[in-house]
Amino acid sequence: MAEYWGVTVADIFNSMPERFRPEGAKDVEAVFGYDIKDEGKWQLTVKNNAMTLAKTDDLSHCVATMAADGETFVGVNVGKVDATNAFISGKFRIEGDMAAFGKTGRLFRKFVLAKKEMTTREYLADMFATIVPRFKAQEAEGLEASFAFDLGGAEGGQWSVFIKDKACTVTTTIEGKPTVTLEFNDARDYVDFILGKIDAQSILAAGKAAAKGDINMMASKWPLLFEKYKDPLAGNVQEQELLTLKKTISINQRFATGPVMGKFLRGLKDKKIYANKCPRCGRLQLPPREVCAECRVRAAEFVEVGPKGEVRYMDVVYYALPDPLTGVARETPYGSINILLDGCKGNETLPHFIRKDQIEKIQAGWNENKGTRVRPVWEENRSGDIWDIKYFEIDE
Amino acid sequence: MGRRLAVCAVAQIKNHPNYHYLRFQNMLLDCFEPIMEQTQATFDMETGIRTIITCSDDVFDARTISDNGITDVVGAHFRGEEKIAQESINGLGYAMACILSGHDDVILFMGHCKESQGESRRMVSNLAYDPFYCRPLGMDYHNVAALQARAYMEKSQITDAQLAKIVVRSRKNGAKNPYGRENKLVDEEEVLNSPLYSDPLRELHLYPVTDWAYGMLLCSEERAAEFTKNPVWITGYGSCMDRYFMGDRDLASNFSLKNAAQRAYAMAGIKDPRKEIQLFELADQAAYQLPMWAEGVGIADEGQGGQWIDEGGMETFNVNLSGGQLNGNPLLLGGAARVIECYYQLSRQAGERQVENAKRAVAQAATGGAGQHQAVIVMETQGG
Repeated sequence: MAEYWGVTVADIFNSMPERFRPEGAKDVEAVFGYDIKDEGKWQLTVKNNAMTLAKTDDLSHCVATMAADGETFVGVNVGKVDATNAFISGKFRIEGDMAAFGKTGRLFRKFVLAKKEMTTREYLADMFATIVPRFKAQEAEGLEASFAFDLGGAEGGQWSVFIKDKACTVTTTIEGKPTVTLEFNDARDYVDFILGKIDAQSILAAGKAAAKGDINMMASKWPLLFEKYKDPLAGNVQEQELLTLKKTISINQRFATGPVMGKFLRGLKDKKIYANKCPRCGRLQLPPREVCAECRVRAAEFVEVGPKGEVRYMDVVYYALPDPLTGVARETPYGSINILLDGCKGNETLPHFIRKDQIEKIQAGWNENKGTRVRPVWEENRSGDIWDIKYFEIDE
Repeated sequence: MGRRLAVCAVAQIKNHPNYHYLRFQNMLLDCFEPIMEQTQATFDMETGIRTIITCSDDVFDARTISDNGITDVVGAHFRGEEKIAQESINGLGYAMACILSGHDDVILFMGHCKESQGESRRMVSNLAYDPFYCRPLGMDYHNVAALQARAYMEKSQITDAQLAKIVVRSRKNGAKNPYGRENKLVDEEEVLNSPLYSDPLRELHLYPVTDWAYGMLLCSEERAAEFTKNPVWITGYGSCMDRYFMGDRDLASNFSLKNAAQRAYAMAGIKDPRKEIQLFELADQAAYQLPMWAEGVGIADEGQGGQWIDEGGMETFNVNLSGGQLNGNPLLLGGAARVIECYYQLSRQAGERQVENAKRAVAQAATGGAGQHQAVIVMETQGG
């Protein structure tokens, strides 16, 4: 099949379902024909805001049929051949109801000629030029909002998208007080974000972008108001939509502490740290557990240890996941330490945190070398949990 | 290498609605110690326990790899430890494979489940379903069981009054079981007036939320005498997994249970279960399942479950003298509970529930939506 500007006649027809605009087909109910020389015949049926396309031999029942050669047909569709000139010079003709055929112009989004590369500037131009065609008016019932985009860098610029009375307009300025403003230090990041190459969380976390105003309007409403932007370089091939399901699985739990962990946690309320002792090997466990797992016997004797001790192990955490129980992210960096409390020996260490401003000063120890001496800093209102100790600090 | 697996000792804590003062580690420890004491087994690497099988569930325990939190209280440090995250009866199948293959000869088998810990067991069983289709439809083991209940009740002419009879009997039997969950005794009127959960299932038709733990010492035929004078033998095991997607199944057919039972009977050399087996412990998580599983293991005629109840089938075949699952065991551990009752019966330790001529017993377990997965174990006494 012949190619013109890298596009075949079939490419134009195959992309029709994807380019179809139901909102342009509201008052159209007709069958249109296409007779492309040496390529074949197609019929396009438009009804109930939907379309079907089929290859056919018989176009006699069509309300109007376009007849052209392949080069003209492709050229008009990709914008390389001027339609008016081609029509006047007889390169294509319309048979049947010419006025009816005129409606096909509103039925499809433009066929975008795939380029090998697009600059940030070209992407931005295409992204904002397609905002109005991608606008879903039915989602804007009763909505009046303005979205401002302030995109920095050499190729950046400013845009505003206004929504009012279920209509959408775009300007290349930012005026007045937008409902929400999205700022990117570098417009290239915005392009990558829209193309799905980087995610919003990591750009925001890195301080490369900021959202001001009604953030929820941008995060939740924008995706409903506009069809997703399609990358022209994706080759006009209809991509499969990636369906994913986002759910937070949550079943409330009531954990029993039991007599052993319970004793330890109760001790913290009284600023006491209890280890339990194996009756056989004498090993201490911190926090205490029901048995000495090595001797396989109950370890029922409790021994008060610490509260001061020396640092055994330490690391500095820079990337912290949210606490799965509370969803709260820990402030980073923080120092995670294992402390050999006074009265303990060997590996009988207790894990906790070190005071933030002392991270740099901690020396971890081992058997021959003493680590930095530390003491607990207690929470004023203690409830019997691990945070009754706020953290440990250097014992000076 | 023998053909039988010896159950040398069992231990359990009482089935309880809510051990709010115990971690599940404490519950297990209370089973571990009696096993060690009864059998005088050791953890010697040559002659003692080298393999521990545990049964627990990540969602009920609210932690991933739930066995990590219990290895210390079951003696598993520095030993082989393997977890069954499915019906506990499969732990016995696994132990049997391990021992009959000669891989190991002494196994400690421990299990726990604290159903009271989570807000709702139905939220847990909802997670058994795929997140895209069945989970959003709200499928859980209760309302899926109700689909099966209705289909089966129609097929076998089971009435609401018969279900009430099953519940009343379960609680009476459970009251005679020292380890049974303590439930209020009810009469048939109360059951018939109990609120509908998912029609035709009523609140009292369903096993109650229960916390429980158990332990067993299992070993090869050759070594049984070292640990007990009175071993009970597992001579047959069969299991069958039915289709996962509900729409693919004939819910009233008993397909997987019949398969599992046939395999277990074939392995144990049983031709007529009605004549050769004196005691049946069935996994009646809901009342309608008792006659349904009775059909599946071959002690009630196909499609005659209703008539079988009326004719006294439950007593004729000594079904669920422990109170059954319906009286209360954690869902995950029903199989172990059934096996432990059979062990008591066959070793003549069943007290006032004792069946005098008990030589062979069958323990059955079901899990998954509407009894998707089924397993059957045949147990025998020394002479059996």
